[in-house]
Amino acid sequence: MTEKLTSSSETRGVQGKKRYAMVIDLRRCIGCDACMVACKAEFDVPVGVFRTWVPYRVTGTYPNVKKHFLPRLCNHCDDPPCVRACPVGATYKEEDGGFVLQRYERCIGCKACMASCPYNARFMLPDNRTYTEVTNVVDKCTFCYHRVTEGLAPACVQTCIGRARIFGDLNDPNSEVAQLVATQPVQVLRPEEGTKPNVFYIGADRNLTEHGRAVYDTPEVLEEDRKNFTDAG
Amino acid sequence: MKTIDLSRRGFLKVGAATTAAAAAAPTVLEAMEVEVGGKDFGPVTKAERKAIPITCHVCNIQDGALAFVENGRVVKLEGNPEHVSTRGRLCAKGNAGMWYSYDPDRILYPLKRAGKRGEGKWKRITWDEALAEIAKKLDAALQEDPNSIMLKYGRNRSGGAIDRFMQTLGSATVVNHTSVCESSKKVGMEPTWGPDIETPDFANTKYILNFGSNIMEAAYFHNPYSQRLTEGMADNKAKLVTFDVRLSNTAGRSDEWIPVFPGTDGAVALAIGHVILREDLQDSDFIETWTNVTVAELKNHYKQYTPEWASKLSGVPVATIERIAREFAQTKPATTYTYRGPAKHLYGSYNEKACMMLPIMTGNIEVRGGYCLPRGMSWPQPQPAPPKPAKPSYLAHPDEYPLAAHKVSHLVPFWIAEGKQKINVYFTYQDNPVYTNPGSDAVWGKLFRDEKLIPFLVSMSPFMGEETALADIILPDCPYLERWEPESMPNSLWPWLGIRQPVIKPLGESRENRIILRDIIHALDKDGSRGMKKYWEFKDGEEYMRHHFDNVPGLKEAGGLEFLKKHGVYPIYGKLDPKSGQVVDKTGRPIQPEFGLHKKQLSSEDMTGAAVDAKGIITKNGKAIGVQRNGKNYVGFPTGNRLVNVRVDEWADFGFNPMPTFKQIPWHKEMKDDELILTTYKINVHKQSRTAAVKWLAEIMHSNPVWINSATGRKLGVKTGDLVRVESKVGYLVTKAYVFEGIHPRVVAIPTAFGHWAYGRLASGARAKLRSEKAGSWGANDDPDLKNVWWDDKGVHPNNIIPVVADPIGGSQGWYDTVVQVKKAGPSDKYGDSVGYWDKHVDAFKETMRYAYTGDKHREMHPEMSSWKGPGSVKKKEGGH
Repeated sequence: MTEKLTSSSETRGVQGKKRYAMVIDLRRCIGCDACMVACKAEFDVPVGVFRTWVPYRVTGTYPNVKKHFLPRLCNHCDDPPCVRACPVGATYKEEDGGFVLQRYERCIGCKACMASCPYNARFMLPDNRTYTEVTNVVDKCTFCYHRVTEGLAPACVQTCIGRARIFGDLNDPNSEVAQLVATQPVQVLRPEEGTKPNVFYIGADRNLTEHGRAVYDTPEVLEEDRKNFTDAG
Repeated sequence: MKTIDLSRRGFLKVGAATTAAAAAAPTVLEAMEVEVGGKDFGPVTKAERKAIPITCHVCNIQDGALAFVENGRVVKLEGNPEHVSTRGRLCAKGNAGMWYSYDPDRILYPLKRAGKRGEGKWKRITWDEALAEIAKKLDAALQEDPNSIMLKYGRNRSGGAIDRFMQTLGSATVVNHTSVCESSKKVGMEPTWGPDIETPDFANTKYILNFGSNIMEAAYFHNPYSQRLTEGMADNKAKLVTFDVRLSNTAGRSDEWIPVFPGTDGAVALAIGHVILREDLQDSDFIETWTNVTVAELKNHYKQYTPEWASKLSGVPVATIERIAREFAQTKPATTYTYRGPAKHLYGSYNEKACMMLPIMTGNIEVRGGYCLPRGMSWPQPQPAPPKPAKPSYLAHPDEYPLAAHKVSHLVPFWIAEGKQKINVYFTYQDNPVYTNPGSDAVWGKLFRDEKLIPFLVSMSPFMGEETALADIILPDCPYLERWEPESMPNSLWPWLGIRQPVIKPLGESRENRIILRDIIHALDKDGSRGMKKYWEFKDGEEYMRHHFDNVPGLKEAGGLEFLKKHGVYPIYGKLDPKSGQVVDKTGRPIQPEFGLHKKQLSSEDMTGAAVDAKGIITKNGKAIGVQRNGKNYVGFPTGNRLVNVRVDEWADFGFNPMPTFKQIPWHKEMKDDELILTTYKINVHKQSRTAAVKWLAEIMHSNPVWINSATGRKLGVKTGDLVRVESKVGYLVTKAYVFEGIHPRVVAIPTAFGHWAYGRLASGARAKLRSEKAGSWGANDDPDLKNVWWDDKGVHPNNIIPVVADPIGGSQGWYDTVVQVKKAGPSDKYGDSVGYWDKHVDAFKETMRYAYTGDKHREMHPEMSSWKGPGSVKKKEGGH
């Protein structure tokens, strides 16, 4: 068995290393959910769990109403709390590229990583899957490690109809993600957690994405939406 | 080695080959931007998955796709990067298409009804038995009248095979589904400029007026158009204004959502036209050069359509109408886009025409960033081809709807019940009107359960849908990943030909549709003595495709069918650039479409023997071939006179207003305060009737509470989650309420795709049924993942309570015209109740026929056509239309 180095050191801006990141341009997200389904197919993700998901919220008062989508996935944090929380070293950060990954054969299913993740990005695999035999361990988005190492974009990026999801190496100033992060006002989710997320949003509204703000709405309106949007974000 | 270790014994079965593949993965990542697609690898096995190019057919957008196969199983679908329209991307539905093949409740061998119709008892029979029985019934029907053999299809992409089959039998009784889809949009457009749809250049436009299209979720052409729309909005800073009765994803992502009262889009469009003409913002040169009216005529005609008039009807403020009119006319280029919103009403054709007038009067036709003609390609049919049927069929072309070029299929059950035409054998193919049509089970279910009216019902279907459940014989058809089909769809500004080819062999005993049709003909005409067999001499689907594709100019030189098998699409316009998501040419620049198709000039050869009349119309051999303008001979538009016909004279022949007009729906005028209008819609992750059994889509959305505006909810004392009873004049349903701000206060909305009572366990019973009934009733393998299904709600179907309405011009169903009352559910109301009454549906049918040109309401609705001499004045056409 090959031993992995778990690294909590930052990879952003480190010479000779890649730092993969995703920019999600919410101006271009049409809420089609193609990413959710492409991901399901790519990994044979079981019913009941998602590696990526697209909550939405409706804001405003008739007729001045707007719909907001917020595609979600693992943030592949530069300082991932899940890696720190894992008692058996099953969760680790790939130094070249910064992928936060899971060694299924080490995972003891204690769910410490799930509890530590401020983004609800991890889940326990159920007993049954269609054709993949990995079950009853914690799983998560891999940034499509197996595709990216072959020079391909992640499945969700590949199928994104609005081209809202852009993927690339943040350490390469010529990459599209580096250029977008450099030139656009970007937001990350829950920056106060100090996780240094690598999923950047263009056009995310802090009033919608963070806890506490939804109290301005009457509680019976859009209960489901608010739950989706705030619990996970 | 930096790969995920997979070696723990007993945990994963990973063979030597896949370990080697894993070892070959690069340890240091390449210094390059990632490619956007075309390849895929197994996340566990690391093995490259085999890619086979196809054309998607979950819905009818016809995206180019790649199917990835691992260990003989289709595991992944993505957009074909070589496809000019699709550009490598697929929607949620397209990404889930393999579940059509692997549905555990799929039918994999022929079935014969064992109990009463619809009782659910089946006997497995052989193909030979099934074909022999069908041949026997066809033989008897042919002796009586070939037209007593009926075939009704929903989504027919056979490329001509279905028509060939019916022509071989000599029957004209072919009925489609277009009247429940968009037919009045088509009929609103065709006489005006030729084609049945527009191709807006969303990527290059600056302003989009969207009337009732939910392009970001469904509609023609969701994926390719949404790609261009986001490009236009984000990169080109185009403004999107959406008129809709509810906050669709499209409305919710528009720069402005302007709610309108249902069915009044046409009035708003006319008023916008009024302001444009009043303020002299029109493109006079375009109008005078290319249309059959003058600017003066148009200005005069539009005087009546004031913003004040439209505002009263639609609820859109006068100031908004005036502002939008100025913005639209003064922003160049600009385009409109419409879909079912304006068209699916009693006078949907008028509404469509009114919307279409806006790009016409502003000269945005066939320009970069404007409203363009659709581009398509065609293919030849195998020879010899059967002759056209000898006698016309009433059901295919009812006399009362002479202008409805796409038929009036949703009135067919009433006409059959009335005895207009006798049916002996009924074939159904990818249709399911028992679920999809107005009246659904109350109308079509009643028809199909009646063995006197439908003595023999054959369903060609892979799934036990609501109508297939009522069949006498079921022939297991193949889903799209297992069949051959030719394709072309005008879903971008570049024409293309595509192919669907089997990615896997047909599962079980299933056969693809064209093979089924061939086998029926061969069973009926064993020795060829009936003269039918000769039209069906091909050994498989691939050979059939050779007839289509080996002789198309250009494609032939590129390799014909072999080229399509390899690439999936022809031509390939360039390479998909991962940095921009656009197709680029050899120099790296985005490819550019051709514009100004109507301005192509006729050659001197074309002009030899041609005559030019006083209006500049160029005719040759009795047919208009172009238009002469400023000494130049242009091809013009594909209409009878090569012009854009703002005035459609043919409509006047039948007492309809030939000029742009609007008719308020009479029963909307009389609505009481507590009455609302029920509208239905499609959502991002489902299509109409065929996706409820697709687990990944059902997981995202499996229930459909009725949308109610917050203010209306307060008035009714209803809040989100409450049970409500929605009652129309033909039935009622009981569902949950979803009360929020995103809908017009006089409208309630229920999406279709839910509330199945057949179509397999997942669609019709969610978790409970998956647990109580076993998979594989008809030969398919189970999917262990279905044990993870966590929802119990399957939603409620709205169509039982929607009465038929037929546009007297376009023949379209008025889906959005239903008046309902909504109340808190009573003690006897149960969630999921959905009840319609046949007698009341018949009343609705009789009522809507009064608006046909032969009916008594027609004249009343058209006081401006008082000089029309009545239905007796119209010369009857021979042989349908």
